[in-house]
Amino acid sequence: MNPRLLLFLALPLSTASLQADSAPPVTAAAPAVAEGYTHVKTVGGIAEYTLDANGLQVLLLPDHSAPVVTFMVTYHVGSRNEVTGTTGATHLLEHLMFKGTEQFNRTRGNSIDQLLERVGARYNATTWLDRTNYFANLGKDHLEAYIAVESDRMRNLWLREDDRRPEMTVVRNEFEIGENNPIQALDKEINAAAFIAHPYHHPTIGWRSDIEKVSIEKLREFYDTFYWPDNATATVIGDIDATAALALVKKYYGAIPRSPHPIPQVYTEEPVQSGPRRVTVKREGRLGVVGIAFKTPAATHPDMAALQVLGSILTSGKNSRLYRALTDKNLTTSASADIGFFRDPSLTTFYASLAPDAKHDEVERLTLAELTRVKQDGVTDTEVASAISQLLASSAYARDGAFAIASNLNECIASGDWTLYVTLDEAIAKVTASDVKRVASEYLDEDRSTTGWFIPLNAPESAAPAISR
Amino acid sequence: MNLSLFRSALLPLLALVCAWSTPALHAGVADQVVRARVAGVDVVAYKTPVRDVVTFTGSLPAGDSFSPDSNLVIATLVGGMLDQGTTTRDKFAIAQALDAVGAELAFSVDETMVSFSGKCLRKDIPLVVGLLAEQLRSPAFSEVEFAKLKKQIAGRLQRALEQTGYRANLSFAATVFPPGHPNHEPSTEAFLAALKTATLDDLRAFHAKFYGPAALTLVAVGDIDPDALQAEVAKAFSGWSGGVPRPDYPRTAPLTDLDRDQTVFMSDKPNVSVILGQASGLRHSDPDALPLRVATAILGSGFTGRLMATVRDQEGLTYGIGARTGNDTFADGDWRISANFAPDLLEKGLASTRRELMSWYDQGVTAAEVERTKTNLAGSFQVGLATTNGLASTILATLHRGYPLSWIDEYPQKLNALTVEQVNTAIKRHLNPDTFVLIKAGTVPTVAK
Repeated sequence: MNPRLLLFLALPLSTASLQADSAPPVTAAAPAVAEGYTHVKTVGGIAEYTLDANGLQVLLLPDHSAPVVTFMVTYHVGSRNEVTGTTGATHLLEHLMFKGTEQFNRTRGNSIDQLLERVGARYNATTWLDRTNYFANLGKDHLEAYIAVESDRMRNLWLREDDRRPEMTVVRNEFEIGENNPIQALDKEINAAAFIAHPYHHPTIGWRSDIEKVSIEKLREFYDTFYWPDNATATVIGDIDATAALALVKKYYGAIPRSPHPIPQVYTEEPVQSGPRRVTVKREGRLGVVGIAFKTPAATHPDMAALQVLGSILTSGKNSRLYRALTDKNLTTSASADIGFFRDPSLTTFYASLAPDAKHDEVERLTLAELTRVKQDGVTDTEVASAISQLLASSAYARDGAFAIASNLNECIASGDWTLYVTLDEAIAKVTASDVKRVASEYLDEDRSTTGWFIPLNAPESAAPAISR
Repeated sequence: MNLSLFRSALLPLLALVCAWSTPALHAGVADQVVRARVAGVDVVAYKTPVRDVVTFTGSLPAGDSFSPDSNLVIATLVGGMLDQGTTTRDKFAIAQALDAVGAELAFSVDETMVSFSGKCLRKDIPLVVGLLAEQLRSPAFSEVEFAKLKKQIAGRLQRALEQTGYRANLSFAATVFPPGHPNHEPSTEAFLAALKTATLDDLRAFHAKFYGPAALTLVAVGDIDPDALQAEVAKAFSGWSGGVPRPDYPRTAPLTDLDRDQTVFMSDKPNVSVILGQASGLRHSDPDALPLRVATAILGSGFTGRLMATVRDQEGLTYGIGARTGNDTFADGDWRISANFAPDLLEKGLASTRRELMSWYDQGVTAAEVERTKTNLAGSFQVGLATTNGLASTILATLHRGYPLSWIDEYPQKLNALTVEQVNTAIKRHLNPDTFVLIKAGTVPTVAK
């Protein structure tokens, strides 16, 4: 497997929360006293503040298990905020955020890349449907220098055509790498068919023509619309005390003004789907793929916990329903569930990667039969208990270091309620077999499904690579 | 599929740097490790402040290079059968025991080792250590599971062959390493033929010959009581014997008669995966290996490495490009540049890559670059060892490379002692761009299908 894949498989949200009884060492039981801030709430050891000067949301989780800190800024803008002609703009802008500012740039030898690589930081940025985040995991002594650069690019970014042109081809190559992958190609088509009005219709990387043609002026407009402190969350996790962290954030973000205009909100709602939809992708390849997607609710919906348990029962491990029905019978090489965890209602998609000689229609039929069995007969208490144990243990494992915590907390921030990082586990622990049967019946509705087949063309007789010189 | 777009896939590159880094601020890792031979097993325990979570990893030498000449896939199949049931419970019972407490335990096979890794909560260490011992010691070798496993492996291979990166790697390893070298990749036809003819008797014989505690290492990091861990290992592995020492592979002479420009043509692949490199002749512990790694980081690690700074940032020709040394833990390894290019930018991208390569090779690196890279690597030590995963994998890798655990603590000093002359000498002494092999996998233009 090429380790340089361009797309990052997001962490399953089942690993996103924090069990109260096994949290990392926490010293934020009482809110820190910090002038210029309003303490909003503390949940699961994570304290939320608002920077009074400009509305910046700040989350703090001191963790002294290692002398490192993760600082992350999450902007509440993603591909959900794009329209035709600007698809992919959020992501292209994310790339351009590394091109420098008047104060910090490569020529001066103090660009963000130069600063962070010099100190061995683990850093990057990501874009997804609902958010864009910038982060670094680094030695605590370097935190202030990073916050200085990160805050400066919130409003002072160079946005130059001379930077856009070469970066556009970089992003286009990222798009091309995604197109190499049959499952990713199929996933785009399924989403595009499942959503006809809502912007989850288009992929985060955008359509190729938009990537190529969006102007620097449009990107500037995007930046000036969404990159403001009152549309962002700053998170500090690691070996630093709360008062010191708040002081640093205020020192560098406090002077940035609030957005001069209201941040535009997405108001488009997806119409109710009233019949099954199908898509087919035919390309050169070796093995087929079947994907079946169902409309499921937003991350903040109370049914999310039961959906997580349902997904685990169907696809997690050798005792899962689809492993037994498909993979163990050599019909698939793997079967997985992707439980959409987003701000707006999205999709839960079951992917079955076909084994050699397996037929699409048979795998689709058997997958649907398993889903029907859950809807009609429910699941056992043993299955539910096992799924809950797996999900809660995964949560504990996902607290292995400040960086891992930040990655998962980020998705909860993006969903619109960061406290899900704590409360989702509590809800998962209470899920019952009847809950699972109910959500299966409610959401695994064929009339609200989109089924996709990847059909490989010219599948070879043997697996021998064709090498020409 | 939930996908999040990264600014770059460079994190894996940085992680590679971390993998051979160790912590500046975790001074005294060797002093804090509790190490003992228990029931023949080398048990290495390291307690950290993390609460409840335990990460474990380990290995024993029974990888692909131990497969008999008559069948190259036997080691892979034995490793694959470890989680398909034991003589006392089937695979579903094993999975249920782990799932019930949310524990994870997985096995893998590489060219030298069969490895295991997993996670559990502190209270479940007895269960997981017991299962680990049971699965290593007494796999069931069931006919039914064996037939299924063969099909699963064949299917996974087909899936992998759809990927340009996998195909480029396969061709590179098949070209620069001679047959018999542990890093050599057999042809797909040979692999599938061996899969067909393998028998359970072959597997049983292999297991009896190579599986045992002789060179079995178990590393556990996290919320552990070392004494309690040792007691569980003593109970679970008691009475087991056998196994073989880690191999001491002979050095191989560089191949001279190579196809140095190869295309793996694949239709409908709008990105071409490229590898340009050679067998390095170096192991991780060789004196020149560290200076060459520093030199390589200057060329191709991170966003400020020369390749990313020019071929990507200035010219916009690729999403990802980097250079690294690797596959050098037990045997002499390789040196490579890996990159991605659109078919219509391939030639331009290769020209830019070669320009940067030759500038680096001919003119060497500067003292300022060396100093900056030292700081980078020292910092990534600290960051890489901030998790139980990072600590466990570094401890095991350190032992695999034949270093004492004190190497972890001494690494920053070794790094700091390097001079720019040593770094530039290592480049010239071990690399020769004139003999590099170029692999291109994807919808490569102007190549006859």
